[in-house]
Amino acid sequence: MMILKESIVMKIHYGTALGAVFLTVIHILMRMTQDFHESLEYENVIANYEMIGYAIMLELLLILISVHGFNGLRVILIEMKQGPTYEKVVTYGCIASMAILIAYGSRTILMTSMGMI
Amino acid sequence: MEKESKAKEGIKGWINPAKYGKFGIERFAWILMRITGLGLLAYFIGHIYETSHILDGKAVWDASLEMTQTTEGHIFLALVIGMCVYHTGNGIRLMLGQMGYGIGKPSRPDYPYKPQSLNMKGKACIYATIGVAALAMWYGIAVMFG
Repeated sequence: MMILKESIVMKIHYGTALGAVFLTVIHILMRMTQDFHESLEYENVIANYEMIGYAIMLELLLILISVHGFNGLRVILIEMKQGPTYEKVVTYGCIASMAILIAYGSRTILMTSMGMI
Repeated sequence: MEKESKAKEGIKGWINPAKYGKFGIERFAWILMRITGLGLLAYFIGHIYETSHILDGKAVWDASLEMTQTTEGHIFLALVIGMCVYHTGNGIRLMLGQMGYGIGKPSRPDYPYKPQSLNMKGKACIYATIGVAALAMWYGIAVMFG
């Protein structure tokens, strides 16, 4: 069962890794623009989400880490056991979990950045 | 048949130091890469759930944040920093290796059949990555407890 060639999947895996590292550094640096504890206060976090550029970056980060993380989990699970049915269940299970996590995280980003709270 | 059953060891095969002979730093790096990957994925799912509390108002946000504002919470976050830095550093090493950097030139396999790819450069990178991860954890602890 093959949705994409494994070599393409691994290129996506490495690409998402590099993108995620770059955006995670920016995400962490945002905590350093002020005192760490102060930066996590409710009003400051809301203000972060309301910056459209930062909200887009968070959405991208969510997608990149979800794709990388669940593909990594798929690789680990397929390394441990093989078989056509098992591999199909693992692949579709990881894709479904990834989609659910992206949808759930996007809901937080969208609702907060649009002031729907 | 024996070879086939060995391949089905699953998670036991990961932690069996005798499976591939000497339990070297490369095998340790491989196991740590998988453990940190799974740990980071678990943390990421938790982080997405925790940040969703912002939608429930200030009181719920503050209550959820309090979980990480304890000594145990800070130690947990320091571990996350360490896992993140190690996973990143080792991942970059593996990517460079797959592109052909730092794995030596191909040569005829002669006794004692030492793999070219498992050389001092690779080992040094693994030790350096572990060192940088430890430093990042120390810095994280200094910021969080500071």
